[in-house]
Amino acid sequence: MTTFQVANIDYIAILPLLIVFGTAVIGVLVEAFVGRERRHTIQATLAVAGLLAAFVAVIVATGHMGLTLGHVDTATDRHLFALSIDGPALFMQGALLLLSVLGVLTMAERLGGTGSDTFTPSGASTPGSQIEAVSARAGLITSEVFPLAMISVGGMMLFPTVNDLIGMFVALEVLSLPLYVLTGLARRRRLLSQEASLKYFLLGAFSSAFFLFGTALLYGYAGSVYFRDLSQAVSAGPISMNGLLVPGAFLVFVGLFFKIGAVPFHAWTPDAYQGAPTPVTGFMAACTKAAAFGAILRLAYTGLDTARWEWTNGLIVVAILTMVVGSVLAVTQTDMKRLLAYSAISHAGFILVGVIAFDQKGISSVLFYTVAYGFSTIAAFAIVGLVRQGGSEATHLSQWAGLGRNHPLVAGTFAFLLLAFAGIPLTSGFVAKYVVFSAAIGTGGATGTGLVIIGIVCSAITVFVYLRIIVLMYFSDAPDDTVAFVTPSAVTTFSIAIGTMVTLALGVLPAALLDLADRSSVFIR
Amino acid sequence: MTTRDIVFVVVGAITGLSALLAVTTRHVVHAALWLLVALGSLAGCYIVLGQELVGLVQLLVYVGAIVVLVLFALMLTRAPIGPKDEIDTPRWQRAAAVALGAGLTALIATLVIPVLGSQLVDLDGGAAAAGQGSSAGATTPGIARAIFGTWVWPFELLSVLLLVALIGAFAVSRLVLGSRATRVTRATGAGDSG
Repeated sequence: MTTFQVANIDYIAILPLLIVFGTAVIGVLVEAFVGRERRHTIQATLAVAGLLAAFVAVIVATGHMGLTLGHVDTATDRHLFALSIDGPALFMQGALLLLSVLGVLTMAERLGGTGSDTFTPSGASTPGSQIEAVSARAGLITSEVFPLAMISVGGMMLFPTVNDLIGMFVALEVLSLPLYVLTGLARRRRLLSQEASLKYFLLGAFSSAFFLFGTALLYGYAGSVYFRDLSQAVSAGPISMNGLLVPGAFLVFVGLFFKIGAVPFHAWTPDAYQGAPTPVTGFMAACTKAAAFGAILRLAYTGLDTARWEWTNGLIVVAILTMVVGSVLAVTQTDMKRLLAYSAISHAGFILVGVIAFDQKGISSVLFYTVAYGFSTIAAFAIVGLVRQGGSEATHLSQWAGLGRNHPLVAGTFAFLLLAFAGIPLTSGFVAKYVVFSAAIGTGGATGTGLVIIGIVCSAITVFVYLRIIVLMYFSDAPDDTVAFVTPSAVTTFSIAIGTMVTLALGVLPAALLDLADRSSVFIR
Repeated sequence: MTTRDIVFVVVGAITGLSALLAVTTRHVVHAALWLLVALGSLAGCYIVLGQELVGLVQLLVYVGAIVVLVLFALMLTRAPIGPKDEIDTPRWQRAAAVALGAGLTALIATLVIPVLGSQLVDLDGGAAAAGQGSSAGATTPGIARAIFGTWVWPFELLSVLLLVALIGAFAVSRLVLGSRATRVTRATGAGDSG
């Protein structure tokens, strides 16, 4: 009779996760017991406080790295641990927490109303119906968005931390489900938002099924879902079983590629980015991408590292397609949010180039890129959400004409962020692209160099896209002066300012973060 | 033919019959209730086969949660519950569904029966085997050891997932509550029909 082995839990190491989930649960209680007038303020404050406390806990947890939440099976000497608290995991957790602070602050923007300005007071009402008008007049608010966002952040923090495929699947669901809901709660252009939410949900469910199917095949191959066992099974396993390994690895990667919006699994990205409330789009673009790249790194470097020759070619094809399709289709876009969505797709391709480096440099470059891109993109979407015409967001490109003359500061900030997306020196985008490409050239061999050349050509294409917007803002006449930049409250101003300053700081003085990313680039398995 | 065989055949027949009724009835609530009977008697099948944990989980998850969820969804979305011609599936769809279902059954049967059909499991030895089963075994103590030892974190995390599903459902489906709003809702409803 085998005895029951209790899981060893290092509570300090998982404290950040516990704080985030705990804050979400308290948020649900706030929802139940606090009056409508004060709920918004309390929820937003609680969420930000929880995120900051969790960030402090991440710093404390750096002294408690190691495998936790599991035990070593004495009979077989297998390491059965659910979480791996290591450098990349903690780096991603810290980055996600800081990015979500900005994301939550942007979501909390009220613009003088009772609740968040961008969220509908009643999700189920038909757009333009009387129920909707009544609920807006009654001062109803959807402050559930804060607990939902917190749970999503918790899932994102778990995503790069988990040590097995089942945990990764659960984390994937925990981070996605709140995002599907948040996408459908836009106050304006409700039909577009509901459509986006449904599309995102259906395609997300498909990708989860792919991931799960891949997990099943890999379990069939290795007899275990732990990354360590998987890696060992691949190096020891018979080649005749590759019929399970190759499709399994492929399907699991499909599930993850979907989350980063890599071509050909990108179809949801433009629609979801356009339909979602703009602060949610920024949050989604920055944080989901960071978390999913953390998970891809863990899978590629600790789980399937020994089977690399089986799937690297597939990854290279996906990276090339993602860069080319993202950049080329960005040229044809006429809607600002869709354009930034295609820009996000092309950035996913650039980051994949770093993943293919298969080196510690590759890991640190990916970590740096996701942080640099995250801060710029949250600030950019926050600005997009504040350029309004007649009360609703002016997302069509033609509405941005002449913005530089009427609102020089806003247009200047936005132009700077666009230059960061393009990868112009003195912005974080340049340093990020530089480290990713140099990692690929350094250890990727001829394929790496080829990928970098394609990446540079695609960057040049996207430079054209961004410069076109800058030219539009500064050198063309406004059709009329009804397009206005709504002056936000201090919280959104703060998050735009921080996002822009980080973009500048990482461009001028990247050494500190690069150094941190370098030191955090060792996986524990 | 032992008593167990007879009980299994009876419970199996109830399962099959109620499953058939669940897909043929024209009332959506009746369908949900027949589904309840089908899933409940399927749990009976598991228990007859000596897998009491699977049976109980079947009761808890499917009967207790899924069917309630179906009814809950009908309630939240205020779906029409009587038979309605305009939401009825067309004849060709039903024929296609029958063909697909029969095809899938045939496929699984041709795959599973030759492979597993000749294997016999001693049900009465189950209790003795459970005592010495390994931690990875499919016995109840083995599953308990795995869930609360190795898999405790994903297991606890699933409760977060259920919580978020619950909050999400309310955030999406909530309509205005309160007297003034209800009056307006009624007024618009009357205006539409009149």
